[in-house]
Amino acid sequence: MSEIGISVPNVNVRGPEVPRTIEALDPVFTVSNLSVFYGDYEAVRGVDMTIGNREITAMIGPSGCGKSTVLRCFNRMNDLIPGARAVGEILYHDENLYGDHVDPIEVRRRIGMVFQKPNPFPKSIYDNIAYGPRVNGIKGNMDEIVEEALTKAALWDEVKDKIKQNALSLSGGQQQRLCIARAIAVKPDVILMDEPCSALDPIATTKIEDLMQELTRDYTIVIVTHNMQQAARVSDRTAFFTAEVDGAGVRHGRLVEFDETSRIFTNPSDKRTEDYITGRFG
Amino acid sequence: MAILSTPRSAVQLASKGRPLKEHLFRIALMASLAIALAFLAMLLLYVVEKGWPRLNSMLWENQPSIRRPETSGIQSGILGTLWIIALTAVMALPTGILAAIYLEEYADRTKWYNKLIELNISNLAAVPSIVYGILGLGIIARWLQFGFTVMTGAVTISLLVLPIVIISAREAIRAVPPSIREGSLALGATQWQTIYRQVLPASIPGIATGSILALSRAIGEAAPFLMLGAATLVRFNPEGVWSSFTVLPLQIYSFISRPQEEFSILASAAIVILLAILLLMNSVAIWLRNRYQKRW
Repeated sequence: MSEIGISVPNVNVRGPEVPRTIEALDPVFTVSNLSVFYGDYEAVRGVDMTIGNREITAMIGPSGCGKSTVLRCFNRMNDLIPGARAVGEILYHDENLYGDHVDPIEVRRRIGMVFQKPNPFPKSIYDNIAYGPRVNGIKGNMDEIVEEALTKAALWDEVKDKIKQNALSLSGGQQQRLCIARAIAVKPDVILMDEPCSALDPIATTKIEDLMQELTRDYTIVIVTHNMQQAARVSDRTAFFTAEVDGAGVRHGRLVEFDETSRIFTNPSDKRTEDYITGRFG
Repeated sequence: MAILSTPRSAVQLASKGRPLKEHLFRIALMASLAIALAFLAMLLLYVVEKGWPRLNSMLWENQPSIRRPETSGIQSGILGTLWIIALTAVMALPTGILAAIYLEEYADRTKWYNKLIELNISNLAAVPSIVYGILGLGIIARWLQFGFTVMTGAVTISLLVLPIVIISAREAIRAVPPSIREGSLALGATQWQTIYRQVLPASIPGIATGSILALSRAIGEAAPFLMLGAATLVRFNPEGVWSSFTVLPLQIYSFISRPQEEFSILASAAIVILLAILLLMNSVAIWLRNRYQKRW
């Protein structure tokens, strides 16, 4: 654990085990000059960042700064919005995610996603987990796959006796862990989380945060959060986004600063980052 | 303690005549409802009372007869109606549901041709049924030479209920939250897998309810069949889709237009049967809706 900065007291910052690097050494994603358009509107402009393997990368910033938009580029969920397109490059390992031959379905199988509001399917707990493996034609003992995914998501003990019950009967926090288990069941490489705790109470939030730490042994996690303490608690690297108005009076999301989390929260190099994390704006 | 107590005149909780207005409004609402229900009850009572002497097994065991109205039945009409509804369901429901899936899940709503299709479906739902009769006569019966058969009737009625099926199926599909689609797609499911395994199962109760209501509207139609020139008094049952036929509303129409009192009684009895089929279908729809309704 590194030193805790005076600007954010009582926040436990995950420290670096390796010497400080702004960019991840073993990147899963390398984003270069990424801009995202909705029709003619440029929602996010010129993002450069890297997502490190088996790390938790947090994206923070005020509402409307484009952090969710960037997150949704990593598994090409933006493709589903008519008129949305990404310009620039996102390398997933060595392959351009937006290359001509890339199948978004295959991308989403490897890069899972957990949403802001828990969205279990109106089916049994078992069928929720088994859905991903089934649609992807994954062979094997489905009971084992389900148990393994639920165990990894720290939900097995709570639901093992009611595995055939409707998933909507679970509490909000359990539903969100079910959604994480559902994502794990297809054995992805990366899990994207879009404000996964914003609809949960503090106890459920703690459980999800602990779970995220567990999951970094096997998975790379990118999390969008409104909660700065959460970013500080769980992440290795933090990207701070904000919305800027350009010369023509149009708002764009911009990446202001990207660095190790301890650095962002103790000694940010940009004034805007400092203002945001100390609560002076946003 | 005097400081703590508020003077009585400062608090104004007394009524300002609002309860009276509230009361009058409630009475107006209930009166409107009562008028609608009263007319329905009167209609039911009237036909049941009038048709009572003929509400027996002869009604569905015998064929209609002009010469012996006292033993005449409506078997050909009941079976004709059932044939038409079954064939309409087979043709209109899959087409309508698939069209609704296209419009809700695939169509790009910003494209002009999709807007045009949407506008026209709403318009088609409002076209008077007799116009469909003209269409059926001109194109299906004459041009396609299907003649005055069960097939012609069912195709015509299918066209009539198709817009209603599409509109109600679209509403049911739209009621499935987008988060379910996102959740499925984010797991690497294809769009068709998402529709087939998530959207359709979740919207089937709504689609079924809408479809049954659309079909029960078709049951009461007489105008398009009149236009098609379906015979009003058919003494044999339809034997297949290329057989000639009649339907209950037409049979009722033909009975009522005869002068004898017996036919008037027979018509009332037939109306009771028609209403019974309608109520049965509507109760199935309501049961389906309550049984499988999803709460998100």
